Amino acid sequence: MVARCSKEWEEAGGIAAQALALQARAAPLAHADAEAWEDALSALRRAGAGGSDDGGARRDHALERKLERAAVVPLEIAALGADAAALAAVAGERCDAAYRADAAAAAALAAGGARAAAHLVEVNLGVREGDERLAQARASEQAAADAADRLLTSIR
Amino acid sequence: MSSLDAATDAELVRRCREGDAEAWNALVERFSRYVYAICVKGFRLRDEDAEDVFQDVFTRVYTHLDKLRDDAAVRPWIAQLTRRLCLDSIARGSREQPAPEQDFEETGDDFAEIEEAFAVREAVTTLGEACQEILDRFFAQDQSYRTISAELDLPAGTIASRIARCLRKLREELEGRSEPSGESRE
Repeated sequence: MVARCSKEWEEAGGIAAQALALQARAAPLAHADAEAWEDALSALRRAGAGGSDDGGARRDHALERKLERAAVVPLEIAALGADAAALAAVAGERCDAAYRADAAAAAALAAGGARAAAHLVEVNLGVREGDERLAQARASEQAAADAADRLLTSIR
Repeated sequence: MSSLDAATDAELVRRCREGDAEAWNALVERFSRYVYAICVKGFRLRDEDAEDVFQDVFTRVYTHLDKLRDDAAVRPWIAQLTRRLCLDSIARGSREQPAPEQDFEETGDDFAEIEEAFAVREAVTTLGEACQEILDRFFAQDQSYRTISAELDLPAGTIASRIARCLRKLREELEGRSEPSGESRE
């Protein structure tokens, strides 16, 4: 919206197109996240109910895979949040001044999304400290926060 | 990248007529996704039917290329041929197993989308390699800015702006008002 409303900005169309692309990636990820979480939760319950029979190892393996999936999706969402915040920051720096606050709001929201998603990766039972996925999630969270802060600071 | 990748449609057709095998490969390569998109997206053919139509289209292109009056019009000719063969395929299928009415409908929107997508794809090939690369990574491979930045060794904060500049060039190309200018990084 910010880019589309900035008539004097030559690259506004290109920024708007990227925003639409990010939006298109976000919707299926949100759906996948809910699904992956439900799956992991069901697997956890099954594992909790099971004994130490022969099926135990299979259940552990299935649980591990479900937890992995439940971490991958928020990891992608965190990266998407970082991209959305970065894009909003670019828009905020170059757009028509009347829309700068809207861009800052978008960046802050995206940073919030990245933070929430990074938290989901962090609390995933299959992710341990030192895990590369955790490092990536935190990097996305930090990048999104930096982009949003930069923009907010510049307009205050 | 083959030297034929940059050849115009008309040039490619001319060389195919002369029996240039490399030109045939390039022609099939250039139009294969187009034909397949019409079959699958436009007519919703099943994969196996789409493959049959695909084979049939290029067999007929090969055998009837001499009948094409305007070499530059090879794309609409192939499109028309593909549509006709898709309809034949659906009609054959309906004789074996009657299909719902909507399976026979050509949806204008889908075809317009296909045409537009291929026009964009063609226009992208006229951009510099750097632009082609960055647009492909972002829009086709869904890569994040951070991944693009790391893999192309570009500052992360510049990716969105670079993509926007490339898109502006693409729009100019599509609108036919691209003017020769000094070569930039993209």
